[in-house]
Amino acid sequence: MRNFAASLFALLAFAFTTPALAQPLKIGAPQPMTGPDAPFGDKFKKAYGMAIEEINAAGGVNGRKLEIVIEDHQAKNALAATVAEKLITQEKVLIMTGGRASGQAMEIASVSQRLKTPYLVDHPSADMITAKGFEWVFRNNPTGSIYPAAFNDFIANFPGAMPKSAAVVYDNTLFGKTIGAAIMKQLKAKNVPIVADEAYPVNTLDFKPIMTKVKGTNPDYLLMVAVSTTDAILLTRHAKEIGLRPRAFVGFGGGFGVADMSTQLGPLAQNVFSSAAWSGNPNDPKVKAFYQKFHSRFGIWPHEHEVEGYSAIYIIADALKRAKLTGDLAADREAVRKALLATDMTTVFGKVKFGNWSGPLGDPYTNQNVYSPEHSVMAQWKDGQLLNVWPKANAETGLTFPDPLAMK
Amino acid sequence: MSRALRPWLAGAAALALVPALGPSSFFLHVAILILMWTLLGAAWNVLGGFAGQVSFGHASLFGIGAYVTIILYLKAGLPPWWGIPLGGLAAAVASLPIGLVCFRLRGPYFSLATLAVAEIVKLVALNWEAVTNGPVGFLITGLPPLRLLGATVDWESKVPFYAVAAVLALAGLAATAWLARSRLGAYLVAIRENEDAAEAVGIDTVRAKVTTLALSAFLAGLGGGFYAFYFRYVDPDAVLNISLSMEMVFIAMVGGLGTVGGPLIGAVFLTTVGETVRERFQVGHLIFYGLFMMLAIRYMPEGIWGRLRKLVASLQSRVPGHGAA
Amino acid sequence: METFAQTLTSGVLTGALYAMIGIGLTVVFGVMRIINLAHGELVMLGMFGAFWGLTLWKLDPFVSLLLWLPVMFLGGILLYRFLLRKIIPGGELNTLLYTAGLSLLIANLALFAWTGDYRTISLSYGQEPIRPFGISIAVPQAVAFAVALAITAALWLFLSRTDLGRAIRATSQNGEAAVLMGIDVERVAMITFGLGTALAGAAGVLLAPSLYLYPTVGELLIVKCFVIVVLGGLGSVPGAIAGGLLLGVVESLGAVYVSSTYKDGIGFVLFLAVLLYRPSGLFGVGK
Repeated sequence: MRNFAASLFALLAFAFTTPALAQPLKIGAPQPMTGPDAPFGDKFKKAYGMAIEEINAAGGVNGRKLEIVIEDHQAKNALAATVAEKLITQEKVLIMTGGRASGQAMEIASVSQRLKTPYLVDHPSADMITAKGFEWVFRNNPTGSIYPAAFNDFIANFPGAMPKSAAVVYDNTLFGKTIGAAIMKQLKAKNVPIVADEAYPVNTLDFKPIMTKVKGTNPDYLLMVAVSTTDAILLTRHAKEIGLRPRAFVGFGGGFGVADMSTQLGPLAQNVFSSAAWSGNPNDPKVKAFYQKFHSRFGIWPHEHEVEGYSAIYIIADALKRAKLTGDLAADREAVRKALLATDMTTVFGKVKFGNWSGPLGDPYTNQNVYSPEHSVMAQWKDGQLLNVWPKANAETGLTFPDPLAMK
Repeated sequence: MSRALRPWLAGAAALALVPALGPSSFFLHVAILILMWTLLGAAWNVLGGFAGQVSFGHASLFGIGAYVTIILYLKAGLPPWWGIPLGGLAAAVASLPIGLVCFRLRGPYFSLATLAVAEIVKLVALNWEAVTNGPVGFLITGLPPLRLLGATVDWESKVPFYAVAAVLALAGLAATAWLARSRLGAYLVAIRENEDAAEAVGIDTVRAKVTTLALSAFLAGLGGGFYAFYFRYVDPDAVLNISLSMEMVFIAMVGGLGTVGGPLIGAVFLTTVGETVRERFQVGHLIFYGLFMMLAIRYMPEGIWGRLRKLVASLQSRVPGHGAA
Repeated sequence: METFAQTLTSGVLTGALYAMIGIGLTVVFGVMRIINLAHGELVMLGMFGAFWGLTLWKLDPFVSLLLWLPVMFLGGILLYRFLLRKIIPGGELNTLLYTAGLSLLIANLALFAWTGDYRTISLSYGQEPIRPFGISIAVPQAVAFAVALAITAALWLFLSRTDLGRAIRATSQNGEAAVLMGIDVERVAMITFGLGTALAGAAGVLLAPSLYLYPTVGELLIVKCFVIVVLGGLGSVPGAIAGGLLLGVVESLGAVYVSSTYKDGIGFVLFLAVLLYRPSGLFGVGK
């Protein structure tokens, strides 16, 4: 009899609690799965998928599985808003992430703020996203104006590195202009003359005219900002072919850090610096293990996008674990937001803790990762490999400066 | 006249009924999108459908409306109910020089000149940072408090936006209906069929076209102003994109060129098809969207509304006794 | 002076590629009076052809033209025969919308099949530029320029020396008269569309070593393509060449001597200015 009661009780408990337990915790992620940014949507999809599989295989979050709902916004702002609305009101996700480009992230942030749903920005870098006082919006990755932090640190602290003059070439997108402005503001504060200030449209086929013009100004440093990979490759190629011989070639933006840079440029990539493309501390064994695992699974080495996407899921899982979920959606979202505020952990991307502080261009950040300035790194191309060289704490090897070409 | 008003009253009543049925907020969002696209399709249709002047640059007029509205709100504190009409007005004013330049050209040359103008406007928005904020754009973080009929308007609900979108869409369609019956409309049809002949019989074709463009621009600018307040973020890529111009063409054409109801039908079909296939196929959905466009043109070259009208006409002629009415 | 010479050379080299993209579109417009919005996607297919040729069969992109020209020609004929033929009598606008749908279809099928990854073509002889008179020229660009010249010359010979070529030109100048002269306009249209497609593919192959490729790259090319073709005069092959070169040179000079950020804008202003003085383009034959 007692057995019967116990099993009945167990059965009842099963019947009443399992649906709640079995219900997955939903994360919404608008990403560009078609249109011009489609390659990036795919990177994030892989990264999210891998993180979620790992977490679920290890028992999920407090016994509940994680589920990600990715929807395509085609890199269009209005569609990003539509998708965000849908994920929040129809799919009833607990938390949002993703976005990929800043324009779409702006819409997702705006919708999330109004519908009181937390949004963890994992890659979009426009300062504005965390500078509008949105208390529902959090960001793990550094903002655009923080990207050059390692470079600024390098010229200030490496002996003899202070530029005598600099040429700045940047694309006229939000990314290019933000970083271009941040670099020039810093250099002007240090009384470095800007001898060339050139903005170019994305996907320029030929930079030789611009580089010929820049060569005439004989810059001590050549600083290049590119959001697009071919622009990064062609800027470097054409600068070298035209015969520019600055003490340092420094690239800002993901394109300067991808493998194509060395396969396309061969020896021309040698000693080019890449500032910004932080994708975790490569000296950390845990990060190395992640790189290996990702590579053996998908056949490609993870870069900033994959690392950011993968880390975002771990930050979310950590917050969900700490949040007291009741089943009431609005209360749960508030609980997740509160849990995010208390985040203090380390992912493969690095340390994360959200706080309110002031950015390099004076933007008043809310819920921006306070460790962001540490997530800027300078790397250098050496014999086909991109190795971190500055700041010293994260360096994999010594740096070559000035560029041997300039000595000739 | 009251007979002519009947379908309008019925339409307005049907639109007014939708929020009362207690739809989900996402359903209302899609309805708002459809109404916004109806307005934009109507804006394009006035010029493209009636006057036969195919513009590929209407995004510039939409964008001007959006920028003027959002700048007036953020810089001068002008609330939406003034900002949106002023956005339309600004687009209409901006259309005058555009028209004077582009209307010197005909056919495909005109179309591509409007495309060039739109690209120039976009570059200006991208680079004239003092006014447009460059690629950063403008973000609205809160809307002004408003009391209407003794109640505070809740901007977080979709209903006020739905109401505004419905009024704007109806205004767009009403303007089209008015044009279709006006003398200007008759001139435009003459221009569309044969511009030289129209000129020969004494129609001031440039004036007729410029006036129509201004009307079309006003409607597109209203759409831009509405976009600014509904989506609350304006940057060059979002509001001056060539894909916006093309979408307006598609809506007017799939619905039925030069018809009053065409833009509404086009907006309903393209928006619902787009939403449905996107939900089903994460990566492949635009394949189906493309196929839908090709099939629509292949089997309904006169547009859905045009096709329906033909069907109705042929049914009526078959039913004896109906023709007398 | 060095800056000017370099700028001019860059402009001409880029302009030749622009011209190649434009020629295919203008030939098709001339005969069929249609604006093919899927032209950019046809160029994209050419780029992928070059990429797969190199990746799968180690085929040099410029050699792979011998394969892709006939393949694209056939593809164009099939496209015309089974998809476009019924649409064209419906008028310019209908064809425009139809080809817009077609462009979405092709680009997204490619996206589905090949994923959206950015790909680049790396050529062993692309590393070191040649430097005649101190002007730096990338070898693949120089080769592309030479091949573009050869293809254009061959096209010119074909259009002016063969019966079929003359028939195409006649139809382009006056379709009704061509019918009266006993030209099979339907057949001419089919062959012209094949030719236009092959030229688009060739432009893609030549462009591939200089630009990265991804399934939706066509969007990037189509607007420029229109500017070139209209600048030169719709339907005119010499016009497309002049338009392409002019745009390349003006953009290049403008980037250096006016403002690099308005580079694309300078092209559009030039475009409007030319049209205002010559409403049917540089080489337009009037209405």
